[in-house]
Amino acid sequence: MSKKVAIVGIGYSGFRTTSTDVSYREMIYEAATKCYEDAGGIHPQSIDSFVASSEDFMEGISIADEYVPDQLGAVLKPVQSIAGDSLQGLASALMQIKTGQFDVVAASAFSKISNLSSYENVLSYATDPAYIRPFQENPYFIAGLEMNRYLYETGTSREQCAKVVIKNRYNALKNPTAIYGAKIDMDDILNAPPLCKPLGEFDKSGHLDGAIVLLLASEDKARELTDHPIWITGLGWATDTPNLDSRTDTLGSARYAELAAQKAYSMAGINTPYNEIDFAEIDDTFSYKELQHIEALKLCGPGEAGELLDLGSFAPAGDLPVNVSGGSLGVGYLHEANGLHRVLETVLQLRGEAGPRQLPGVETGLAFAWRGVPTTTGTAIILSNKS
Amino acid sequence: MAILERITRNIDNRYWDPGTKAFPVKNRYTAGVAGQWFFEELKENGKIYGSRCEDCAVTYVPARIYCERCFKRLEKEKDWLDVGTEGEIHSFTAVHRTKTGEEKEEPSLVAAVKIADGLLIHRLAGVKPEQVEIGMKVKAEFKPKDERQGGIEDIKHFKPL
Repeated sequence: MSKKVAIVGIGYSGFRTTSTDVSYREMIYEAATKCYEDAGGIHPQSIDSFVASSEDFMEGISIADEYVPDQLGAVLKPVQSIAGDSLQGLASALMQIKTGQFDVVAASAFSKISNLSSYENVLSYATDPAYIRPFQENPYFIAGLEMNRYLYETGTSREQCAKVVIKNRYNALKNPTAIYGAKIDMDDILNAPPLCKPLGEFDKSGHLDGAIVLLLASEDKARELTDHPIWITGLGWATDTPNLDSRTDTLGSARYAELAAQKAYSMAGINTPYNEIDFAEIDDTFSYKELQHIEALKLCGPGEAGELLDLGSFAPAGDLPVNVSGGSLGVGYLHEANGLHRVLETVLQLRGEAGPRQLPGVETGLAFAWRGVPTTTGTAIILSNKS
Repeated sequence: MAILERITRNIDNRYWDPGTKAFPVKNRYTAGVAGQWFFEELKENGKIYGSRCEDCAVTYVPARIYCERCFKRLEKEKDWLDVGTEGEIHSFTAVHRTKTGEEKEEPSLVAAVKIADGLLIHRLAGVKPEQVEIGMKVKAEFKPKDERQGGIEDIKHFKPL
């Protein structure tokens, strides 16, 4: 890498199922103030550029990117909006610094999903208008198709998917920001109301409101602003075809994750991810997705994730802890802010600030975000506390 | 820099209700050159068309006018072909919720039906959810010609052979 870049500030607010007391912009303002305070009390006037990730329709306004600046202190500053998961926004922030034109860049994202009365309608609107939308089906049918195919191709069991839910919601009990922490049984999950079978109600992560702001800086600036910079050593993203009819080979797998990780690993000089990564925060929007993503990210062989989960490999005390934070199943689903949430939890671990869920002696973490149905976009990032 | 005030009683909360002040967003979506031809074949002839890229040895279903792998143009006269009305279930799901999330009285069966190298997403009928299997052979059942409108629902559903 030509120029080293670190995460030097983290701030978040909300992490509640409803938040009627603040507007989404106030929620971002709060996260931003905490982030800037965390980065040595930097004033936004000293921040060179701002990247916000959001999706029209979710905010209750259109052309939402024009509503970005003020809550970040970015009025009359360079502002960029990314219509995608916030880890893609973070990629943009990273690249801006790597151009050499910017030294300090903020990345922000939020979810105020409790304001939306019909989320499924928005998702449905994202499906192909001519070939898919006419059926007027619940858009989670795509997850049902994916899960069924994944189980078929890999021999993973329904119960192994349920164990992801048990693990992540249990992990969440040690995370004070996690709303969905619970000790939950196999029977609870298997007997839950079906959604799009084999997907059941508890296989899907629950909605969450929240805002996250992260501050990135070039090496010199990073050392100036913080004593604990967390270095971005690799990053990559990829998008598979948006056409369900073309996903004959990939309906049951996550090729986008594989390609995103390949790029990130090669940038970070990682050859054997399973040995070189200490822990991972991996998209678990749906239970099967965590297993599918673990395999695609080459943290085990194809079809092996379920078995390794049975053996406890992905538990906090296992060989490769996955979603110690509780993930989306345990903490909640933050929509376009999911990517930054993964990074936030990875940074807390690498700083040694994860409290009761802190993993001992961790140096290298992987965060991976997926944008949810009906998309096939994933972003992987490697973070390290060693320079 | 901080938020110093908080609303601490629900009763003090106010929200703006878009239900009363919303404006309808309406738009059209053109099916495009490929969509137009594909849906016309469904409507007029009850045929499902795919398009083949010889270079990639892939037959797309529904047909389209370019190969997404090699980016070559696929011409109707040369590369389009009737792929028949039978396929096999590549994956399926029993959908228990309506589009907006309410519980359905009866689940609907949605399948990805593999025809040539493509997946046609459609409804399954004439079979119970517990009887469906991946790999099962199915056949498209069309609506009567006078009811077809030139859309994906000109196929009523797929049924096991």
